[in-house]
Amino acid sequence: MKRRVPAMVVFLSLFAAYMVVPIVATYVFSIAVRWDRTILPEGYTLQWYADMIRHPYFAITLRNSLSLAVYTVGANLLLVVPAAYIAHAFLPAAKVPMDIVTIFPFAIPRVVLALALVTVFTVPFIARSPLLLVCACTVFTMPYMYRTVANSLEAIDLRTLNDAAQLQGASTLQILIHIVGPNIMNGIVSGSLLVFSAIMAEYTLARLITGARFKTFPVLLVEFTRRDGRIASAISVLAFTVALLLSLTIIAAARRGSRSGGTSGG
Amino acid sequence: MQSSRVRRRSFRYAVLLFPFLIFCLAFEIVPILVVVKNSFFTSAGAVTLRNYTGLGSVFYVLSFWNSIRLSSITALLGTVLGSFIGYSIHMARSKRMHELFVAFSNVTTNFAGAPLAFAFIIILGANGVVTLLFARLLGLQLYPGFQIYSYAGLVVAYLYFQLPLMILLILPSFSGLQAEWREAATSMGASTWQYWRHIGLPLLTPSLFAGFVLLFANAYGAYATAYTLVGAKLMLVTTQIAFVVTGEVLHDPAIANSIATVSLIIMALCIVLYRVALTRARGLKV
Repeated sequence: MKRRVPAMVVFLSLFAAYMVVPIVATYVFSIAVRWDRTILPEGYTLQWYADMIRHPYFAITLRNSLSLAVYTVGANLLLVVPAAYIAHAFLPAAKVPMDIVTIFPFAIPRVVLALALVTVFTVPFIARSPLLLVCACTVFTMPYMYRTVANSLEAIDLRTLNDAAQLQGASTLQILIHIVGPNIMNGIVSGSLLVFSAIMAEYTLARLITGARFKTFPVLLVEFTRRDGRIASAISVLAFTVALLLSLTIIAAARRGSRSGGTSGG
Repeated sequence: MQSSRVRRRSFRYAVLLFPFLIFCLAFEIVPILVVVKNSFFTSAGAVTLRNYTGLGSVFYVLSFWNSIRLSSITALLGTVLGSFIGYSIHMARSKRMHELFVAFSNVTTNFAGAPLAFAFIIILGANGVVTLLFARLLGLQLYPGFQIYSYAGLVVAYLYFQLPLMILLILPSFSGLQAEWREAATSMGASTWQYWRHIGLPLLTPSLFAGFVLLFANAYGAYATAYTLVGAKLMLVTTQIAFVVTGEVLHDPAIANSIATVSLIIMALCIVLYRVALTRARGLKV
């Protein structure tokens, strides 16, 4: 037993290095004057960040990605959350088809989804429009929102809760606002953050559906990986840092959620 | 009367699901069915199987071969290495180590697609820091034998998202292997090797298989990482479909529909196999 421990430590360290080195290298590259002849960079600078911010497409693509993410989260909140609530609270028979419809996007490669939407929607108003992109992003992110919300709905015994509250004379709406809402808020927030960060990083759908008409931040990044790696690394760092902060928030929210869930359950 | 009232109420709730259902129909189900339908028609509208027989040309056979080989290799390496790493994490037997890893993999999943591909160009490109370290410390010249803008490069980059996924999938199965079984086997004189050969591995097989097919599907559908790394230099199924959508390559667009349909069948098969394997694995979660 004792003999095996060092081998495992080596194994885990190699794995950790493999996972961490690419991220750290991107950060270092983005502030390196030059880093292609030496083990350590030949000096440090913030020049590439300044270049990135000055680039005319920086603000445009960042704004495009932000609004795409906000609209997609909005569409998820309007379509998926109410449907998940209704299925769990009143129509248990709808749960299985809902599960299937929301798992479906995982089985559709995004290039195929893009091909399908571009094929079907050819009318000028919607064809290859940002609106169609929002719809595509909503389809692709539905599983994230549905699973997180469904999990928090399953954690509370909705049907018993509804029956009990109704016996006390509370209306469905009152139950929704005072009991269900606060209980699933954590799930809704986590789901929204997941959707938001997935869309901020989404490249395939944006490139294939809107392309040059509506460039997003990841599309700009890929263009720079072919043109200027230093600016590409600055863009990469910005994108990853935002995603990192978002996912730390999600982890913190989940931890808070499980703790409060634990006390109410016990 | 009671039941008809309940039914009427159910119907009212069902109506509330309509916006969601209509959205799914309009932007998910119908468009996918249209692609499948179109794969059996010429652009002029006549029924044909030409889009499928056309897949027999070297060009498309090579794309499928590349995609399937890349997915199989990264899924296999991901399953094997991921299981060993998962076992190491499991053997640490500390809840904190477990939590740390889950948080760690949640963070690293954000590092995907283009940023991931680009990071590997930085460290493993011809002048990358890891390439230099290999040369100076180990005297190992990676180039020109290895190239990051190549098939081997794709394998290295894909494993970055395959490994954490496999570890997350396999960790619960290790917890499902009861310590008593191991003790019972040992007390009857079984060696570690015999335990794994006759008890541990057979019990884990369905979970390992489930992990493999999920990883396969995961790699098969990937596009951003591949496009950033190799662009048009390596033909993959996803890059072929993408070229038709962006209109960059002049070949029969109708054939994209049959490529997409075959891909959907492959993905569906993976999901079905995953489900079946998961039911077989249920025995572990006692």
